[in-house]
Amino acid sequence: MSDTHGHNGHEPSPLVPPGATDRAVSADVLGRVLHPAGRRFRGWALLLTALLAIGVVGFLLRLQGGVQDRTQWGYTAALFAILLSTFQAAPLVSITQRFLRSQWRRPLGRATELLAVVGLLNFLIMLPVVAALPPLAGRPSLWNWWPGAPHLWDTLGVAILVVNGLAVLYLAALPDLAALAVVGQGWRAGLWRRLAGFWVGTPRQWDIQRMALGTLGMFYFLMLVFSHSMVAMDFSMGLVPGWKSAIFPATHALSALQGGLATTIVMLFILRTVGGWQDYLHVDQFWALAKLLLSFSLLWFYFFYSEFIILWYGRQPQEEATIGLLMFGPYLVPFVGAFLCSFVLPLALLIWNPIRRSIRGPVVVACIILVGQLFDRVRLYVSAYSIEQVGGHVLEHVPAFHPPDLVDVMILVGGAAGAVLLVLLASRLVPVFSLWELKEGMMLRKVVPLVRLRLAALAKPR
Amino acid sequence: MQERYLLTNRQINDDLTRPVLTTPFWFWVAAALLGGGLSLGLLVVAVFVIFGLGVTGLNRPVFWGVMITNFVFWVGISHAGVMISSILRLSQAEWRRPVTRAAEVLTIFALGTAMTFPLIHTGRPWRTLYWVFPYDFFRAIWPNVRSPLVWDPSAIFTYLTSASLFVYVALLPDLAVLRERTTGLPHLFYSIASLGWRGTPRQWYLQALAGILLSALILPVFVSVHSIVSWDFAVSLVPNWHATIFAPYFVIGAVWSGVSAVATLMVIMRSVFKWQKYITPDHFDAIGRLLLVVGVGWFYFFVLEYLFGFYGAEPAEIAVREFQLFSWPWNLLFAIFMLAAFLIPVPMLCFRGIRRSIKWMLITSLLVNVGMWLERYIIIVPGLAYKQVLTFSYGEYTPSIFEFTLIFASFCMVGLGILVFSKVFPLMPIGEAKEGQIFRASVKVGKVEVPAVIRE
Repeated sequence: MSDTHGHNGHEPSPLVPPGATDRAVSADVLGRVLHPAGRRFRGWALLLTALLAIGVVGFLLRLQGGVQDRTQWGYTAALFAILLSTFQAAPLVSITQRFLRSQWRRPLGRATELLAVVGLLNFLIMLPVVAALPPLAGRPSLWNWWPGAPHLWDTLGVAILVVNGLAVLYLAALPDLAALAVVGQGWRAGLWRRLAGFWVGTPRQWDIQRMALGTLGMFYFLMLVFSHSMVAMDFSMGLVPGWKSAIFPATHALSALQGGLATTIVMLFILRTVGGWQDYLHVDQFWALAKLLLSFSLLWFYFFYSEFIILWYGRQPQEEATIGLLMFGPYLVPFVGAFLCSFVLPLALLIWNPIRRSIRGPVVVACIILVGQLFDRVRLYVSAYSIEQVGGHVLEHVPAFHPPDLVDVMILVGGAAGAVLLVLLASRLVPVFSLWELKEGMMLRKVVPLVRLRLAALAKPR
Repeated sequence: MQERYLLTNRQINDDLTRPVLTTPFWFWVAAALLGGGLSLGLLVVAVFVIFGLGVTGLNRPVFWGVMITNFVFWVGISHAGVMISSILRLSQAEWRRPVTRAAEVLTIFALGTAMTFPLIHTGRPWRTLYWVFPYDFFRAIWPNVRSPLVWDPSAIFTYLTSASLFVYVALLPDLAVLRERTTGLPHLFYSIASLGWRGTPRQWYLQALAGILLSALILPVFVSVHSIVSWDFAVSLVPNWHATIFAPYFVIGAVWSGVSAVATLMVIMRSVFKWQKYITPDHFDAIGRLLLVVGVGWFYFFVLEYLFGFYGAEPAEIAVREFQLFSWPWNLLFAIFMLAAFLIPVPMLCFRGIRRSIKWMLITSLLVNVGMWLERYIIIVPGLAYKQVLTFSYGEYTPSIFEFTLIFASFCMVGLGILVFSKVFPLMPIGEAKEGQIFRASVKVGKVEVPAVIRE
């Protein structure tokens, strides 16, 4: 996706506050990390910590019951999949746009990479969920003779994804951490020095950083798709006898990209309104992301329909049972909710350019999509985890809808609060804007006259 | 684009209208050769009509062979135009400018060629007309309207219509340039065809708007066409065809082969029309990057498609997969397909030196299409060729010389179509080339002037 500076020839939005110098931008971006946290920040952190504590209690209560009763872990599995499909997918926005050398990504790259820290929490959530999976014997799987499958390999896959996400964040933040080490004070300065003390910004260091970022970014993309494929197969499809759908892993990965985009938009909105970054985040970023969101919503439907038509047209007993479980049976409401929130409403809203080209429009749609993610993951994981007989070629008995109990609600709320809290705390260590990328953007851009218009000329060095 | 030439409007007009206004000797030689190849194909069709399809290798239970493979292959190639034109136009990719027209024209001729194969495959093409008009919905003796075999023509005709419209709208300013440079009958033709184009701001606005709208509207058609082609197979219960992933797998495979075909066409255009200043190694680098991403994406779908052949451990499905992978000659074809469609080209495209080399890009893009033709063949035939429980009468399928001739003729048909088009219309959009010159700029970074592009 390239840059989007309007088709009406308007003067492009500034990358940094108008008239701001290099030094002023540095002071602004680093200053927010260096200054002590404000009262509002502390208030939010306290609230989120309290909610996280509730979640931890719920998690411990659930653990007390063991992992033998898989049904009890359905909502935790859904939470794990939601975090994997939202927070952990968001860094891809930055990674792909950096690969495409888009200019509009500069103010949002770091914010999305910061979301990778949620992987730490999600990894912990995953452990009992993966432990609750039944052994492979007697049920279809792609693992076949792999030792330790699926438990070991699923855990390893997600662990690599988490480490990879943190590595991307670290590498991308390295120059900024070095800058903070120079101007910072106290224990945080010591940490920054330890993390980035060796960075002096020689041409060789820049070359290596760029190369490593490209390689790790590409690897993150592949790992994310791989992880989603694994999770989709082992945590959902593999538990439903007779559900055989080659497209499902890809659908899962695709809807994660949609969720990652939606999370990014919400994050940017919070930064703009609550964080006071309105001079850096303009309608351009929301507009560009909204176009991507529209594309992914259309793709969501395409992938869904590609699966549905084959199962519906095939009319084999196992196909009818699968449709009965996931779409038109006990999970009809979550299915309709997911369909409306992931496709119908985003399409109905984002098809209008005035909505796409606004700030609130994409944010509303992003929130709708996140609700859709909740419905979709509940539909896929709670239903799969509620099946007792996982062997055989046909789902003989479609289980009833498994409603969440109080502990499930505690875990869901605590998990979501914990994810936000982690990002909030991380923003006190790493600037939410990539200073070096902003400065690079300032160098590579100038406003030029063209006939009677003033437009942006964007340079893309090789 | 880093590698740019400063060109005047006059020079662009001269360079890009030259193939239309002059006829070098090589044109006649190429037209004769391609026309000869196409004539061979027509001869084969005549043989089919006179002697019936018995002269082909088609044999119970394999009723879909090379002709249906050709159909799927050329529908796939036709995806090039929309991928290059509409997606890159919507995303304002600067490198699209010299290749959009050629890609769109490739779409039209590839689609036209694809459409001939199901007709030839019927053995009695005139009878096709007999059952289509008027279509009988009620007596259940005509093909079922709920079958993808009936959706196919609708989707393909819609695609052909919109692609033609797409080309025509983009052609308008260029037709006006030709109108001003011709006399006599050609002048009359270009005057009528250019619809009174004068290049007023309103006309440019409307043309740009139409281009954007068509770009957006053609995308769902583009996706639907190959999806429906895939459903010809996937909605059946034939093992290895009945897979949910077929639609996106076919679409991305089509993009993989179609964009590769555009890369081949770029090499040909650059050398034949001497357009080295318009199609530079930077353009090959850009299309190479795109191909790399598409190739890896295609491989992901391929892996899923194959792995899920074994998922579920259904004996019939596994038997067909084993037949496809390990029995002669499918094992050899499969190995060639894998090497040509992925294992050689994708690693090659990782190297910038190869992406920027005209020769290597030609080799890579040709390899991809050899592989992708085989991919379609390997999907279509083994599923039918393997003896199933209820198959009582079966024979081997080996394509006959007539079918091989048809493959050759199909390439000649597409080649001849593009050649003739380039004689009548500019194969590179003149307006786009001029716009590219207007939008060029540079930004000074330190002591270096970095090439830049003005964004609308």
